[in-house]
Amino acid sequence: MRDRYYRILGDRCLKCGADFFPPVNICRKCGSMELEDREMPRTGTLLSFTLQKESLFGFEDQEPMIFGLVRLANGVKIVSQIVDIPYEALREGMKLHAVFRRVRSDGESGQIFYGYKFGPKRGKQVTSSDT
Amino acid sequence: MTKVGDHWNRSITELCFDAASKVLSSAPTNPEALIVANAYSELTSSQAALGPQVSDALELSSCDALKVESAGASGGAALHVAYNLIRSGQVRSALVVGVEKMRDMDPARLVMAQGLSENSEASQFFGVSFASMNALLARLYMKHFGVDRERLSAFPALAHRNSASADHAQFKRKFSAEEVSRSEIVSDPLRVLDCAPVGDGAACLLLTNGEDINSQAKKPIVEILASETCSGRVNFFDRDDPFHFQSTDLATRRALKKSGLPLESIDFFEVHDAYSISTALIMEAIGLSRRGHACLDAASGKFDISGKHPTSTFGGMKARGYPVGAAGVYQVCEAFLQLTRNAGANQVPRAVRGLTHSMSGIDATAFVHILSSAGGAG
Repeated sequence: MRDRYYRILGDRCLKCGADFFPPVNICRKCGSMELEDREMPRTGTLLSFTLQKESLFGFEDQEPMIFGLVRLANGVKIVSQIVDIPYEALREGMKLHAVFRRVRSDGESGQIFYGYKFGPKRGKQVTSSDT
Repeated sequence: MTKVGDHWNRSITELCFDAASKVLSSAPTNPEALIVANAYSELTSSQAALGPQVSDALELSSCDALKVESAGASGGAALHVAYNLIRSGQVRSALVVGVEKMRDMDPARLVMAQGLSENSEASQFFGVSFASMNALLARLYMKHFGVDRERLSAFPALAHRNSASADHAQFKRKFSAEEVSRSEIVSDPLRVLDCAPVGDGAACLLLTNGEDINSQAKKPIVEILASETCSGRVNFFDRDDPFHFQSTDLATRRALKKSGLPLESIDFFEVHDAYSISTALIMEAIGLSRRGHACLDAASGKFDISGKHPTSTFGGMKARGYPVGAAGVYQVCEAFLQLTRNAGANQVPRAVRGLTHSMSGIDATAFVHILSSAGGAG
């Protein structure tokens, strides 16, 4: 799963060329089961956003969190945490870039989870040698 | 139905007893099936397999017993299963018990539980709450259709007007649209009063095939004319039209077709109004409002008990309350009260046919039932 969260690894239909993230096993456009791994673009446009005051278990230390609906450059839409920008500065249509961040720490196991978030500035690109 | 609220001292099976005892003691014979509707027992009570747990507690040990889970639509789903078990001839009678016990959950775990209907790898992994998913849709809807904050508050205001006189409701306080708009932010633009509260509760129904039940039993007084369902894309943003609740739309069309009734002949609607924004989209998908107009219609009184299409007549999820897995069963109990002229101050005049709508996620799946008082099948 780390590829999915670190590299925004989705897939592309070999038959009709449609992109998907999270990856699918059956193409949603043409029904083909032949798909190949494909990294999604790391830039997108902000379509909607919210300031979340109630935290999920494991995220209490990050309250309040900003989440947005982002349309990536290839048309795929995802929901992602928005970082590095105050809530009041958000506007529909803003261009955002994927950044690699800690998502949460599991207090009990000590495990740290990382993944993509989106912010106003271009972030360090994660390559497979980093992980 | 138990009152929706805090039931600190009652366990899940005890809540089931509280809801079922009167029904069981007045039933001529024990039901042959027990269908338990519940969403979160594994999390709230470390309890799975509620079918035998509840049948054991209700002294129904030899019946067919199973739990049906479909997050917020568990109640509608359980009813759908019971209905079909009877229609197929497998059993002659079924007890449907919806139950949820959520009030003693730690708040952060509760928020996590509420989001279980969303895609966990894409959403929950990052800490998105269910309210936030609804909020993202709300912002899009408000911008696209020019619906302002005050207008969005019309549905919660309606719900609280109705619950004020409902005995089993969790909240009986009325709130004006303005008070709804000014309540604390949960996930902007959604406020506390845009979102259903957290409550414990249990509701129970006895279904029979109306034929081979004991001849001393009362005649069936409410009939289920249709039990239909439809599912679709889980994420609203994966849909061609994020403002079209297709599962709700198709389940409604199927139910109306099955019952042979036009929408106009339905006298009241109990819908899954857990969030103001989803209520608007539900009403538009059912066909009671034009696209983008549901909030305006609510503000104008169209959905009041005295209005053209009475909706959430006891306050719905928003004000009567939302014990998640039990909600769909509460709706049918309320429809039963309406159709048997036992709704008291909440009575819809001349109510002969009702529609209940039980939904999970943001229209991931919907179960629609059409009920009529006996002889009201049209």
